[in-house]
Amino acid sequence: MMGRRLRLALFTAVALVQIAVAGGAIVRSELALRTGEAFRFHIQPVDPVDAFRGRYVAIRFAIDRAPVADDLELRPKKRVFVPIEIDADGFAILGQADVDPPASGPYLRLRAGGIYPDEEGNRFVWVTMPFRRYYMDEDLAPKAERAVWGGRRGQREASVSVRVRDGIGVIEELYVDDVPIHQWLAENASESR
Amino acid sequence: MGHLSIRWLLSELPNLEKDGVIDGAAAARIRAHYGESAAFSSSRLAVAVFAVFGALLIGSGVILLVAHNWEHLGRGTRAAISMTPLLVSQIFVGWVVLKRFGSTAWREGSATLLALAVAAALALVDQTYHTGGDLESFLWRWALLLAPLPWLLNSTAVVMIFLAALTWWAGAAKVEGSEVLWLWPVAAAVVPHVIQVLRSDRRGLRAANLQWAIALFVCVAAGVSLENRVPGLWIVVYVGLFALMITLGAVNRRDEEGLWRRPLEAVGITGSVVLWLILSFDEPWRHIGWQHVRTTESFHEVASWVDVLLAVGLPLAAIAVMALLLDRRLHRFQLLWCLSVPLVAVVWPVVAATDSEWIGAVALNLLLFGVGIATIGTGLKTQSLATVNLGMVVVATLVVVRFFDSGFGFILKGLAFILVGIGFLVTNFVLSRRLRATVVEDR
Repeated sequence: MMGRRLRLALFTAVALVQIAVAGGAIVRSELALRTGEAFRFHIQPVDPVDAFRGRYVAIRFAIDRAPVADDLELRPKKRVFVPIEIDADGFAILGQADVDPPASGPYLRLRAGGIYPDEEGNRFVWVTMPFRRYYMDEDLAPKAERAVWGGRRGQREASVSVRVRDGIGVIEELYVDDVPIHQWLAENASESR
Repeated sequence: MGHLSIRWLLSELPNLEKDGVIDGAAAARIRAHYGESAAFSSSRLAVAVFAVFGALLIGSGVILLVAHNWEHLGRGTRAAISMTPLLVSQIFVGWVVLKRFGSTAWREGSATLLALAVAAALALVDQTYHTGGDLESFLWRWALLLAPLPWLLNSTAVVMIFLAALTWWAGAAKVEGSEVLWLWPVAAAVVPHVIQVLRSDRRGLRAANLQWAIALFVCVAAGVSLENRVPGLWIVVYVGLFALMITLGAVNRRDEEGLWRRPLEAVGITGSVVLWLILSFDEPWRHIGWQHVRTTESFHEVASWVDVLLAVGLPLAAIAVMALLLDRRLHRFQLLWCLSVPLVAVVWPVVAATDSEWIGAVALNLLLFGVGIATIGTGLKTQSLATVNLGMVVVATLVVVRFFDSGFGFILKGLAFILVGIGFLVTNFVLSRRLRATVVEDR
């Protein structure tokens, strides 16, 4: 039979791991949000619900693949490092993915899918964005979804701002037509009802 | 000492006294001691059950409050709030470990609360920072953080929560096309707790509850974790699994009364009936075996071999335990329900080699019919109404399923249903009267 002290010591260790996992996510996210560089990504949202974490706006990024060098070989599900670049409209796009982080400049650490050639024969890798959900108040999430689709598909432009630090990205805000979602919902209360 | 052993001891006391092994005073002392402890243990059990349910309700309530999403509170506040239930229940569990570890109610209740608090903390942090990915990623982290608790806190309730989270994760991940090979190694975290419980009271209610949880988990997990590269291998895996459950339950049995205390046999037999009924159709037997190995999709190499390992290992293990039962000349009834193992061992390769699915379907129809009739026979011989009814359910479902399957008109189908129903009622009526008559004669 295990002694009381030993059991308490082991339990304390387990409890610390539990705190570290939950708290670590807080620290990582806060660091990225406070000190990370901000980018805007185009998105296409829909509204589902999660049994534990409530309602959210599911986010599909308009870009979900990155170019790769001709000689790069990758096994699926490996980590890749993808530099972030800015397009002419000021939105973020993905640079050339590699197995090592770039020497300078902001980048994201992403999970790779398969490598395929596109229509012009250039190789690209499918990537899964780690931020795929924007959690919202249970009443607001469905309205946000309707706001973005607005009855006519793709009528309004949706985007998210993401703060990036050391390859980790954390969503900061969801925008509809360049207006933060909560502000947009307040201003368009009648339309989003 | 277990509940059943106490009951046995108390029932032996008059004989012991009569034979002069112990005197009346000693018998009275034993009766007082164990009689009280038995009554005490059942009231303690009730308290434990209420403690667990209370903790479940409170914990689930916290999770629902979290799910509402209190956006206007701001990030900092929500981060602080997310850690609060976790810290509070951790301190609570720490206090229980120090002061109340002997009490099942305190232990199980506090452990349940902590298990749900972990979920609430993870959920709220994910929600606040829009991180954490899909549901399966959440369930995976939750299950891993729960894994040491069943053993450390000696908690059966957490085993159930842990296995449920793990199964849910595996199902969700499988739907997404991810690999769930880690399911089994992680699930093995419950083994130390199982040993704990079996050592302290292997015939007790806690051991029964634990076996229910594990039996149900294994049923689902086996299906979820199969890679299905070789079509139809699941048939062999499940036939082996259910036979192993039935035989293991029978081997370990010592006059346990009631269905609840025989989870392995109950799950094994129920699972067998469902499985055999499915296999009595042509469809599951179509295009099975090595000639139809799937090549178009990508498969996980190790997981594919685990499939083969299970398909060979489970039936072999079942056969080993069956041999043990045969040797002891015991539990003929349970052996009857394991006939599927030798049958499928012959039929599966034949169907795979010849691509004639009707062989499998016909074999399983005959098996269902034969075992059903034999079960009715056993029930009549042992005068057990429950056994007779089990056999009748098997035969009746078989008849009903085949009638639906066939091209008969509604009139014939309707008549068949009515006949089966009358058969049920008449058998039960006659048998219960005969049973009552025997009881009267015995008096």
